[in-house]
Amino acid sequence: MSKRAVDMTFQAIYTLTDLRALLRETAPTHEFDANQKAQAERLLENLERQMGSLKQEILK
Amino acid sequence: MKCGSGIEARQVDELFINIDPIQAGGRLTADAMKAVVAYGDGYSVCDNCRKPNRLDYISKPPIAEFHKDVAKWLNMDAVRTVPGARRGFQAVAHTYVKKGDPVLLTSLSHYTEFLAVEEAGGVAREIPVGDNKLVTPDAAAEKIEAVKREFGRAPVLAFIDHIDYQYGNMHDVAGIAKVAHQYDIPVAYNGAYTVGILPVDGKAMGVDFVVGSGHKSMAAPAPSGILAATAEREKEVFRTTAIVGDVTNRKFGIKEPEMMGCTLMGATLVGMMASFPHVKERTKHFDRELANHQIVMDALLSIVGTKCLSEYPRKHTMTRINTIESFDKVAEIHKKRGYYLSSALEEHGITGVIPGATKVWKFNTYGTTKKQAEHLASAFVEIAKENGLSVKG
Repeated sequence: MSKRAVDMTFQAIYTLTDLRALLRETAPTHEFDANQKAQAERLLENLERQMGSLKQEILK
Repeated sequence: MKCGSGIEARQVDELFINIDPIQAGGRLTADAMKAVVAYGDGYSVCDNCRKPNRLDYISKPPIAEFHKDVAKWLNMDAVRTVPGARRGFQAVAHTYVKKGDPVLLTSLSHYTEFLAVEEAGGVAREIPVGDNKLVTPDAAAEKIEAVKREFGRAPVLAFIDHIDYQYGNMHDVAGIAKVAHQYDIPVAYNGAYTVGILPVDGKAMGVDFVVGSGHKSMAAPAPSGILAATAEREKEVFRTTAIVGDVTNRKFGIKEPEMMGCTLMGATLVGMMASFPHVKERTKHFDRELANHQIVMDALLSIVGTKCLSEYPRKHTMTRINTIESFDKVAEIHKKRGYYLSSALEEHGITGVIPGATKVWKFNTYGTTKKQAEHLASAFVEIAKENGLSVKG
């Protein structure tokens, strides 16, 4: 296991936290405007990348 | 979903617009949530504690810098973090109040100020409020004179709430502090509903102490808060320990008795620190918060019979409302009785109104977006109409 794996774990949690903040900001309908949708897409892409890196680190 | 054995994961603020009067300003920022994840372990901020071994001297994470920044932000000279505003009141009361001393409070003071006075052995004397539910400098002067007649001396301390918890009204702290200082009474400003919500300038108000609540108004985990002091008072309330053990001859460095040494040692402090840049910024935009609040107020006041019990126009986003002649009329005949309102609000994705309350209740819209404020407004009106209440306009 490496520092990178630990970093990636935190990064993924933080990305999800940003997503959580977006859910709070748009409660209760969670209807995103164009900016929020773009932000959510960016966060989900980051999360996928972080999960990919995490997989590589942990399962190598 | 569980976050521990038998502990349901709390998702209130993700699923609902939460207008609970005491919860609105304490909702964490995303940065605070991240800080809580990183610093949740017990003494987590102590990794790099070096001599002189006191919390406010730690530079990594930048706790020392945070203390200086908060003092500057409040225009005060020294700050300590405390486990809630109440512990700030306690430290101040314990410093100045001895058994039998009169202490000036107000008819709208928070109960924890009373408890702080009680614990120190003091006697509470309240400045009465007028019909408008405001505490005035004139009333303060009259009460001080009354205390002098009763006790043969002026109060030793005054606690004044800038925004009171009952009505969310804004009181003339600067005017009251001016009067108190004419009698050499130190003034502790209760900023539980202001520090972190709207701009606060301690020196401009002429107060000796500023007390703030992290979990109520600074987007921080509970229990957290700050106690700020002027340079003159700093030496008194933040005095350092002088005690010596008779067997071991131990001394305890620069620990401060009123703080019981170090105060917030983990997620509470770092959460408050992480939110701080956002909190500083949001206080500059309180006008937006009031504008959103007004959207909701307009809707509520359009429901015939509804009255605002707080001062109006509103100067704060926490408001006390009287719906005895509106929503409570429905409760008299509704099968769910008074619970219909909170139930209907929940169906609209709104929480924070005490279940069963339909007569007099409080709500706080702080932190809502304009869209959320509009959602709140339309929900109240829809619920009123659905239940046969008249709506103006």
